[in-house]
Amino acid sequence: MKILIVDDSSTMRRIIINTLSRIGYTDVVEAEHGKSGLEKLGQGGVEMIITDWNMPEMDGLEFVKTVRGQNAAIPILMVTTNAAKEDIVEALQAGVNNYVVKPFTPETLKEKIESLLG
Amino acid sequence: MDQSEIDALLAGGGKPPKKPKAAAKAPAAAAPAPKPAQPSAPAAGAGPHQDGAGHVIAELDTVTAVTERESNKVMDQLDQISRLVSRQQQLITGMMQHEGAQSPGVQQAIHEVMGAGKEIQDKVFEAMDLMQFQDITRQKLERIVHHLRQIHDYIVELLGTGLKSEAERPSISHTIAQTGTTPDENKAHADSVIEAFKSQKKG
Repeated sequence: MKILIVDDSSTMRRIIINTLSRIGYTDVVEAEHGKSGLEKLGQGGVEMIITDWNMPEMDGLEFVKTVRGQNAAIPILMVTTNAAKEDIVEALQAGVNNYVVKPFTPETLKEKIESLLG
Repeated sequence: MDQSEIDALLAGGGKPPKKPKAAAKAPAAAAPAPKPAQPSAPAAGAGPHQDGAGHVIAELDTVTAVTERESNKVMDQLDQISRLVSRQQQLITGMMQHEGAQSPGVQQAIHEVMGAGKEIQDKVFEAMDLMQFQDITRQKLERIVHHLRQIHDYIVELLGTGLKSEAERPSISHTIAQTGTTPDENKAHADSVIEAFKSQKKG
């Protein structure tokens, strides 16, 4: 399964990649903002997206809305520092399937990914 | 962090803002300075108009850039330790098959070494996960920079003099008040919001 990770922090991308590899997902593709994420998505093969919210160029919310305009089915997990209730609701309304607030444990990421893949 | 970055960071600390401004404006044709005061890391807010507030904003931007780069160096080291431990575990597994290592005492010792290796690996992963603090701190600093820009621009407008700050990142966290520092601190809260949203949607 190919997973697209969209986060402007290279440290955070590495942490997510490490966590994914520990739970058996090693096929990942990285992007540092929404615009680049759309390009990577366009190259095909991505079956799941993990995205941050606060990013330059195109933020996570806009990215999710754009993806949902093209693909209603792909599972999207938002991983962000935004913890306010209204932020979580806004992300869910935009089309995010699940939501993780940073900092997270590997167990939480695993739980959320497994719930998305059902 | 190299010396030029340390110098750049220290330039604003406790010194009047005019000094670094003059240093930054020194033309290339002037006598060459022994050490460049500019950081090698990009400072997104560093522009040509470095007054007091602009200087602080530029410094905070530099801090975030430098901490991200240094965090990646720590991650590199942790990755390397992890690879070395994996290699060691492979070698020990090979040793266990060796004819001379079949006595119960040796097998017991090998198992203990394997267990210790696993513990090291777990601690390395734990340390990697803790590096999330870098991204969280960066976003908190961005929020502070955002407030500083607002105060700066308000004063400029009020006095009718000076230059407004440069454009900031298009997307920063909405608040830092709820940003946690302990892993999964906000998990129960987020899960309850998700649950309520999904139930409402179903209903």
